[in-house]
Amino acid sequence: MTIMAKSKPTILNTLIPYVAAILIALAAVGVFIALMGFDVLKAYYTILFTSFRTPNGFIQTLLKFIPLVLQAYAFTVPLAAGKFNIGGEGQLIVGAIGAAAVGILLPDLPPLLLIPLVLLGGIVAGALWGFIPGWLLYKFNINEILTTVLLNFVSFALINYVATGPWRDPAAGHPTTIPIGRGGYLPLLVDNPPLHAGIIIALLVAVAVYFYTTRSTAGYELVATGANPRAAGVFGINVKYMFVLSIVIAGGIGGLSGAIEVSGVQHRLIEGLQHNFLVLGLIIGLIAKGNNMAVPFVAFFIAVLEVGASAMQRTLMIPVEMVFIVEALVLLFVLLSDVVRRK
Amino acid sequence: MTGIETPLILYAKLILLTMVPFVLASQGTMLGGRTGVFNVAQEGIMLVSASIGFLVSFYSKSLTIGVISAMLVGGLFGLALAYFTTHLKMDQFVIGLALFFIGVGLSTLLPKLMIGVTLTPPLIPTLKDIPIPLLSKIPFIGEIFFNQNILVYGAVLVSVFLWWFLYKTSFGLSLRSTGEYPQAADSLGISVTTMRYLTAIVGGALIGIAGVYLPMVYTGTFTDGMVKGRGWLAIALTFFGGWKPINILIGSLFFAGIEVLSYKVQVSGSGIPYQFLLMLPYLATILVMVFTFKRSTIPGFLGQNYDREKRSL
Repeated sequence: MTIMAKSKPTILNTLIPYVAAILIALAAVGVFIALMGFDVLKAYYTILFTSFRTPNGFIQTLLKFIPLVLQAYAFTVPLAAGKFNIGGEGQLIVGAIGAAAVGILLPDLPPLLLIPLVLLGGIVAGALWGFIPGWLLYKFNINEILTTVLLNFVSFALINYVATGPWRDPAAGHPTTIPIGRGGYLPLLVDNPPLHAGIIIALLVAVAVYFYTTRSTAGYELVATGANPRAAGVFGINVKYMFVLSIVIAGGIGGLSGAIEVSGVQHRLIEGLQHNFLVLGLIIGLIAKGNNMAVPFVAFFIAVLEVGASAMQRTLMIPVEMVFIVEALVLLFVLLSDVVRRK
Repeated sequence: MTGIETPLILYAKLILLTMVPFVLASQGTMLGGRTGVFNVAQEGIMLVSASIGFLVSFYSKSLTIGVISAMLVGGLFGLALAYFTTHLKMDQFVIGLALFFIGVGLSTLLPKLMIGVTLTPPLIPTLKDIPIPLLSKIPFIGEIFFNQNILVYGAVLVSVFLWWFLYKTSFGLSLRSTGEYPQAADSLGISVTTMRYLTAIVGGALIGIAGVYLPMVYTGTFTDGMVKGRGWLAIALTFFGGWKPINILIGSLFFAGIEVLSYKVQVSGSGIPYQFLLMLPYLATILVMVFTFKRSTIPGFLGQNYDREKRSL
């Protein structure tokens, strides 16, 4: 894929286009916000600094960061092999179903057993969901973009089915299951405002992905496959197998993000728990140009914007989607910066 | 008329009505693909066109102006796709995804800014059926084929026109050649760039009409995410139809049939959990891809950017 970084630029050289892209995107949307009659400076102050003004804001940002960074990896890991996984949303949902199922079926286990089992339930369910498009690609050569996307829509119906089935919480108005066993709740690192241990898991995944893709033989085969499938095949790498593996790993990571939503945040299965994490994850992965080192930093930046956007909607009545446009434009300008450099 | 005929007629009529967004979005995709531009932003373009087309109709009180604005929006997205991929030679999938994000974002942002949150949804009148004189009086067939809204006729005519244009005119031949083998086309003096811009823009406009069809025929209002994957399904339909206008038109009957079936069984109270019926269109599409993907003939240069300065393939 051409979007992978090729040369080894200095940190400064890498940062300049990003800063420029952010400034241009903010300026472009700023004009729009001003034309709508809102206070631009107040809006941007809220967007950029809500995360850093109060402990609560910072913890909200970390909580947002967890699913976003995992969704981004669910996209960038197959991207390293040259495959587009647009199915992180479905993998999250099915992972959440798997995690909730374990937590509801084994409610009395102690935390030491139940937490790992709940997380594992999510990982396995997500990996299986990722295996379907992987297998279709392997066996029938079907474009993975389409199958992963279409399976998202299947998962929407599936979560509705589970959340309104035998495990339904009759007291809830919205499709919701009964809570998982107490032992399945992720422990809190900070009590008030609550920050659950999912942040540690997310950081561990970040380290693992980094080592896998840059420091291991298996990861080298993955990257080699993406860089030049034909050459990789000549050197004895089973390219088709690498494609499947990359989507299955992505499914596992996506499933884990669902499991963390269940065991850390909701403590039950709720329809809609996926929010817009998929699209933001894709944006993060693309802004990072598939570079797994850069993903956590970009994810943190997007988490800051998202938390700021909610605050802006509450206090200034500017819709949160305004910030989504900023994010999409940052992506576009970052991509454009490559063109500028090429010239 | 006997008892069995009326439901059958209604069913057939409903399939033709449901076929339109699939046909238009898929023909738009096919047209771009025939010059090598592989659009994957359909879902976003349909959403933003539905949103803007709805808003414009709501304020102008004219469905015609609404459809035209949706075409313009779709064409603008097509233009952006062409500019970024043809001119700047950026990756087609990545740009397609970026345009998809922008479309999704704008589609929810604009109604919030213009109308705000209301208790009762703002409504526009839906498109009326226009019976064709004489033909609509033919028993059975008349009601199905000749008593539909204008965009049903439009979708069929566009499909037939595209077939004639691509296969029976020399301009169409030149156009197809740029998607098959741009080097050869270029050496014959055909401008690959012009062809790509042209098809991406017209294709985008068709996808735009497909989007605005949803509020104009189904709901009378815009709701977030109302395209429900039809944009992605249209890509699958394009492969299913082998990137040929008439095959796409025929294939869309199958996609529409599955959607109508899923809907009809839901309201019939069959005892099947309705969630599984909701899955049907997506699962059926994946199944169809299993059987047709290998045999589908795709334009030779699909999804690749052409650089005349580069040496061979």
